[in-house]
Amino acid sequence: MPPARAVPASRPALSAWRDWRSWPDSLTNLWRRSLRFRTILVTLALTALAILVACIWMALAIQNDLFQARKDQVLADSLRATQAAQETLDAAAVQGDTVQIRNLMTSVRTTLVERSSTDMIAAFRIDRTPSQLAPQNFTTPGLTEDVISDGMHEAVQSEADQQWWQSVELPLADGPVPGIIVGQQLMVPDVGGYELYLAYDLGSASQTLGFVQTTLWIVGIALVLLIGAISWFVLRSVTIPIGEAADTSAKLASGELGVRLPVRGEDELATLGRSFNAMADSIESQIKELADLSLVQQRFVSDVSHELRTPLTTIRLAADMINDQRADFDPATARAAELLNAQVQRFETLLTDLLEISRYDAGSVQLELEPTSLAHLAEDVIGSMHQLAEQHGTDIRLVAPGGYSPVEMDPRRVRRVVRNLLGNAIEHGEGRPIVITVDSNHQAVALGVRDYGLGMTPEDVERVFDRFWRADPSRTRTIGGTGLGLSIALGDARLHGGELAVWSDLGRGSNFVLTLPRQGGHLTGPSPVPVEPGDESVAADDLGLTQPIPVLTMDAQSDAGARGGPS
Amino acid sequence: MGTARRPAVPRPDAKDETREMTSRILVVDDDTALAEMIGIVLRTEGFETVFCADGAKAVEIWRAERPDLILLDLMLPGMDGIEICNRVRAESGVPIIMLTARTDTADVVKGLESGADDYIVKPFNPKELVARIRTRLRPASQPVNETLRIGDLAVDVAAHEVCRDDTPIALTPLEFELLVALASKPQQVFSREMLLEQVWGYHYKADTRLVNVHVQRLRAKVEQDPDNPKIVTTVRGVGYRAGAVV
Repeated sequence: MPPARAVPASRPALSAWRDWRSWPDSLTNLWRRSLRFRTILVTLALTALAILVACIWMALAIQNDLFQARKDQVLADSLRATQAAQETLDAAAVQGDTVQIRNLMTSVRTTLVERSSTDMIAAFRIDRTPSQLAPQNFTTPGLTEDVISDGMHEAVQSEADQQWWQSVELPLADGPVPGIIVGQQLMVPDVGGYELYLAYDLGSASQTLGFVQTTLWIVGIALVLLIGAISWFVLRSVTIPIGEAADTSAKLASGELGVRLPVRGEDELATLGRSFNAMADSIESQIKELADLSLVQQRFVSDVSHELRTPLTTIRLAADMINDQRADFDPATARAAELLNAQVQRFETLLTDLLEISRYDAGSVQLELEPTSLAHLAEDVIGSMHQLAEQHGTDIRLVAPGGYSPVEMDPRRVRRVVRNLLGNAIEHGEGRPIVITVDSNHQAVALGVRDYGLGMTPEDVERVFDRFWRADPSRTRTIGGTGLGLSIALGDARLHGGELAVWSDLGRGSNFVLTLPRQGGHLTGPSPVPVEPGDESVAADDLGLTQPIPVLTMDAQSDAGARGGPS
Repeated sequence: MGTARRPAVPRPDAKDETREMTSRILVVDDDTALAEMIGIVLRTEGFETVFCADGAKAVEIWRAERPDLILLDLMLPGMDGIEICNRVRAESGVPIIMLTARTDTADVVKGLESGADDYIVKPFNPKELVARIRTRLRPASQPVNETLRIGDLAVDVAAHEVCRDDTPIALTPLEFELLVALASKPQQVFSREMLLEQVWGYHYKADTRLVNVHVQRLRAKVEQDPDNPKIVTTVRGVGYRAGAVV
């Protein structure tokens, strides 16, 4: 049945079916995976067995019955004929005349042929001593002497009035046919006993039997096929809804909350459908509720950020103006003006970051993609942060073995990420050199920012992308990040389909690696820039760094409170 | 990058020049505190200011006052900034700088497409505001008297006029400047950053959408088939260049 069902849609499928070696595997597969196939196979096997047993039993019974009936008929027929012949013989008065005896035998033969339904008759004289008087033995075609077994002869000779029968194969002109031989003694006056045999052809009964048996087998096979087909259709009505339910659950699980099962009737499948739909309704409404809630919250954050912007602009303008004229103020007021100005700027940065975060949460960020060289972008950022680095006495080194060819990215966002990473590195790098590595492979470009500062504990590393998280709240902040920078950087990286990975070790510094896929692909392989720095001294030589990078001593670590990290 | 005749950023000495001319600036913003503060800043820098707090009256006041530049808030009661921008642009090429609290793509691009020359995101600082205004108010007089050819167009720099077959094409000052920048160096490919610096006066990385939108607007006016540009051609991955002279 499976080969018939598999209508090959394409050549490979066809050849797959032709390839008989794969059949066991595909059948095993089907057995394992298709409830319908399995059920039908079991049903077919059991039905076939039952029908086989029934057919064999019926065939045997019919055969037996047919034979029995024919045998009884044959025995009766032969008895009648024999009795008629015997009567003829008893009635005759031969008086030792050979001619009369011969005539008598002829009339007996005629009687036998007339009164019985067969013309295969044979007679043998029991007493083998030669006699003038005794008529000749006779046989007819089909019933020759060698058909009659010795046992039959003996049995017939043994008792006078007993009928004997035996199943034999009759060698007729058109081939051997099954038959029955009935034997009995016939008493011929003056001569003695003759064995009389009548042979009956069972060919017609055998034909009937054959016909009945053929019919039985055909009906049996047809029944098996019919039951197979019926179970196929019945199972269809069960497995199709089950399949539907499975598909629908899969869709629901993948986020299509609107899918429902069709409910027909009142049966168990309808109950399943109703329960499923009720579950889906409840899930959908709860998810929707949560989404609405989250949307309200996001909108609120966005609205607040926007609403704050107009008054903040006024404050900013005023603060700037006052700050410009602080030379005319007394020292305290001048300082106040300075503080006002600085804090307004900080407030503004915070607001900008908050708004950006709310955009990620709302999923309303759109990338402005253009082909950009990551290496050149890194150079730009380093150039723009040169002054800040100098203030901290930090040396920034760019190592870019690759990453020059343009890759589709949103340069504003990537620049912001790099600026943020570099800013963090400068702030936490303890004045040691910072190495920026840019490299690419066939599927991604990556940029690593490595500092040799305090580094972070594994617990800190886990939280480094959390909003408003700071490695050490007590640390003085010189650059004044908002605490949202790395969250935004991670959001930017993910928006590009890329990732932002971090490695950090206390006393050895930190390494942040931004990896972006080429041409809107997905990241599959390892990043072109490894996050784990490996053996420092070797790597430094490979990078062509001329100055040794001092690594923190244990004393320095404990002095610094062994903590630090990006903000 | 700025050429000698057109300083990309106003230099301190340019201040005296503008002071003499006392440019009038229309500030359209419904937040009176902000409008007043902007007014204080602008007057300190020697500009004359006119205010309008109602979007519905903005076009009317602009017609009456004929300012040299409009500072336009995007979200206004009565009529929104984009609509005002469209109406003003229908009549004049006066420089318009949008003030916006939202930097979301759709809003900014819509504003620029409706004809704003530049935009400033709130909150801004006074120097930034003044720098942007000065860039847009650069004196129109040209020290050199020349006619540039670009594609099948003749650009009369002195007369501030662009002609195709002696038929003048109306361009805003910004679009004219953009065209002149490209036409004056026909061999050079200008990156968006170069154009931002030369035409808009940005010295730092700014929003390249400014360039994209204004190139589209310029093409819509000067190209015979804007889908197949011949005057301002795109160099993929780099920027723009002037089309070959026909």
